[in-house]
Amino acid sequence: MGAAFPAKLRPAARARCGRRRPRAPRWEGTLALLEQDHAFEIADALISESDADETEVSIHCVEDRFVRFAADGPTQAADRERYALRVRARYSVPQDAGGGFREASASAGDLDEESAFAALDRASLLASLADPDPGAAPLGGSAPVEPTAPSRPTQDHTVREKGAWISAALDAAEEAELDASGLARSGVACAALVNSAGRRVFGATSRASFELSCADRGADAETLGGAAAGASVAPFVDQVSVDGTVADVVEAAVQSRAPEAFDPEPTDVVLAPAAVAALLTFAAGAGFGAREFSEGSSFLTGRVGDAVLDPRVTVRDDVTDARIRGLRFDGEGQPRERVSLVEGGVLGRPVTDRTWASRLGLPNTGHGAPQPSARGPLADALVMEARDRSVEELCADVGDGLFVRQLHYVNLIEPKELVLTGMTRGGTFRIEDGRVGAPVRNLRFTQSLVRALQDVIGVGDTALRQGSLMGQDVVVPALAVRGFAFTSA
Amino acid sequence: MPAPRTHAGAGETPAGGRPTALDAVAREAVDAAMARGADAADARVVRVSTERLALRNGAVAEASAPEEFGIGVRVFKDGAVGFAAAPGTHRTLPDVAPGVARRAFSVARDLAPLRRRPVRPAGAATAVGSYATPVEEDPFQVPLEEKLDLLRRADQGLGGRREIVSRFGLIDLRREEQWMATSEGGATHQVLVRSGGRIEAISSAGGVVERRSHPQALDGDFRSGGFEVVRSLGLVEEAERVRDEAIALCYAAPCPGGERTLILGGAQLALQIHESVGHPLELDRILGMERDLAGGSFASHARGDLDGELEYGSEHVTLVADSTLAGGLDTRGWDDDGVPSSRFDLVREGRLVASQSGRVSAGLAGQDASTACSRAEGWYAPAIDRITNVSLAPGAGSLDDLIATSEDGTIFADTVKTWSIDQERRNFQFTCEVAWEIRGGKRARLLRLPTYQGNSLDFWRSCDGVAGPEEWRPWGVVNCGKGNPMQIAEMSHGAAPARFRRVRMVGLGGGRGAS
Repeated sequence: MGAAFPAKLRPAARARCGRRRPRAPRWEGTLALLEQDHAFEIADALISESDADETEVSIHCVEDRFVRFAADGPTQAADRERYALRVRARYSVPQDAGGGFREASASAGDLDEESAFAALDRASLLASLADPDPGAAPLGGSAPVEPTAPSRPTQDHTVREKGAWISAALDAAEEAELDASGLARSGVACAALVNSAGRRVFGATSRASFELSCADRGADAETLGGAAAGASVAPFVDQVSVDGTVADVVEAAVQSRAPEAFDPEPTDVVLAPAAVAALLTFAAGAGFGAREFSEGSSFLTGRVGDAVLDPRVTVRDDVTDARIRGLRFDGEGQPRERVSLVEGGVLGRPVTDRTWASRLGLPNTGHGAPQPSARGPLADALVMEARDRSVEELCADVGDGLFVRQLHYVNLIEPKELVLTGMTRGGTFRIEDGRVGAPVRNLRFTQSLVRALQDVIGVGDTALRQGSLMGQDVVVPALAVRGFAFTSA
Repeated sequence: MPAPRTHAGAGETPAGGRPTALDAVAREAVDAAMARGADAADARVVRVSTERLALRNGAVAEASAPEEFGIGVRVFKDGAVGFAAAPGTHRTLPDVAPGVARRAFSVARDLAPLRRRPVRPAGAATAVGSYATPVEEDPFQVPLEEKLDLLRRADQGLGGRREIVSRFGLIDLRREEQWMATSEGGATHQVLVRSGGRIEAISSAGGVVERRSHPQALDGDFRSGGFEVVRSLGLVEEAERVRDEAIALCYAAPCPGGERTLILGGAQLALQIHESVGHPLELDRILGMERDLAGGSFASHARGDLDGELEYGSEHVTLVADSTLAGGLDTRGWDDDGVPSSRFDLVREGRLVASQSGRVSAGLAGQDASTACSRAEGWYAPAIDRITNVSLAPGAGSLDDLIATSEDGTIFADTVKTWSIDQERRNFQFTCEVAWEIRGGKRARLLRLPTYQGNSLDFWRSCDGVAGPEEWRPWGVVNCGKGNPMQIAEMSHGAAPARFRRVRMVGLGGGRGAS
């Protein structure tokens, strides 16, 4: 990693003017994260040299350590850091020429002075050629943002410590004659955004996880044998439950051995939190954003204020939730609002960013991507409220049906009703006489999420942070649903 | 006066020349790892320059020019593998590289006691040389105004109808330069250029929202090469057709369910190949090394499936892996293990005969050498087994011939809309953007939401015809996610339209579930 270019940079010292300041020595193998003041100084140096009418600089730094493993031990392991410095340049268009701005962005993967100014040059060039956006408003100015900090133990968590987690999993799996695989990971990140209108925001986060899959040996393990998966995901490494995850996954994998065939048909189900997470992330990407709402493809369109879902369903987007602890600002440095998306089954308004808030006449909720972007605002910190039923009680409520631990490769077929398809995975069991019983083979479902959230039998009493195949974390409880549409085996 | 451009265009490499500074950085990193006591090591310095221009509803929605530059070092020590990576530039990498090598060594050393079976990379990475993608027109030298004008003209073609609620056009260009050194004496330099884009119209009418894309959905269609690729995509020429089909889909009947003959166009077949051939035939998946996230494979190494024992498809089905394919997105001189590219059959006339491997997986499988299918995303990720350019060999005749010889009720469907497949790559369900019902040997009514479901082996075994070379072309995939943490890779799948019998179509007419 190259050291970030000197803080007190002034035009005369700039590389593109032919002079360079000497590099500060790198503190090898330790922090890649920048302090707030250092990040702001880099941004200020770029903004002061920009000839654009408005300039925005954002800096992201990530430190990441992971060990991936399979039955024979670690398979991939990395100790790495990554930077992204992004410059957004905007040129105002005179009112008599339609008003608004021309804008563009460019980024560099290093905080080296030369790379940073090259990114500024690229952004300025692209912006000068872009079409004017007459509706574009000036950049937002100063905004108060609550500070966040990463956990130092998470930042310092070593590969060797992850090895101890993995050893425990491999031993437990071997004892049960299972093959284990998974990922132990910890990382910290910081983000800063400064713009020429006076906005200066900074935050840092951390995340740690232990993911485990256990399966019988052989190519057909997940189809004909026992298999289960689970994970513990938390903001801080000392919140990760390794022992609990190992015990739960090994036990479930053993219980899921010799699964029987099950005729695919609409069936009452209890979906464990991991399965609910796999479904709900699609509401974020295809339903809760203002762009989809405006285009008419969102299930919210035309239904805001309507009691569409079961009254026990409440969903919010909330980066302040203690299980998430996300950055408190969005891609334009706008403070993230806590947004009620579904309250007691009544649909709320979508999340917005500056552009879409303006277009739709709504408040800016601070859910924007770095701009300019073809992507609309995104609710990426979903929290579904827990209610009052334990998993055992949900199974009792279902009576006869299926208990689904995990869903795999879910994808969107139709956005307006959020029709999704995917497979069960990692332990699917009959519910017989209100109790979890014999394992069944994996099934494909093709099911409307909107319909599922209407046909709720009960909502679990504990909401857990869950990852997903596509990367977004959500906090969700277990859910019992009537007539879940299994469509093939 | 030269046209303004976002990146240096020709990049680091003067035409015909070969820089030595970054070769030396990679070499020094390897030497540093070996000096620490590594059993083997390799290092890759990678610089990636990208330019993305996108118009949404006539306005520039994205104009970006990112650049990535850094080094990744892999170390083998006592049967374990470690990796470390850090960003840098020409100026800083010489100082950065030795430290990265030491960190990679520490990772391998610390994990070695946990390996229950040592990793022994198969074969050797001794190649020395240079490779560059053949480029007719340097995409970064084409004036930005010209690119934006192309997108504007495409946007105009997509517009003009009230039913169109969203118009989108994209040009996406990428240049990757890589310097690699291995402890076995390998030293390679590659310049890989790819170009592509897409247009899309979203329509809304009668309570139905539909999408139509060209030439491919998702991120678009791409090939290795320069701006000549973008010019060949027909983004302007096809825009009005895309618009009209998007609108017509809103008024079309949902594709009915039931067992039918299905003809798939090349764009859809590319995804079918990717998901039900490419991924299940990655050796690391077959060995269980990917089970924690993406899953395993129905193909078994222990059972001898890779030795011709498994009937993968009908006699019409020959699937070729080819990292030398002209225009392929994974066409290169060497993979990220430093092993030379090659062409080989995965499935020969229906029989499975090989898998896609890297040196690590091939070593664990007891093979003498890999098939050069190990790749990493950029400089910051460790290499894993990857789908290369995997193509369905052409048969004979045309798409019209396939249609003309199919019974009434046959469905011709194309262009991916959504997809899902299980963790062992058996059960899949794919929905296409568009379909036509065949009547009297011709395309008849337009249908929306054509959805088919099946089992990978049964599906390929039901293939009874593949159109000929005149209909064959490679389709680029630029969004292949794999690994944990996930990495993105690019590859191509060549295909001509093909016909499949007794396919289960899933009716989605109600919009709330399946019938």
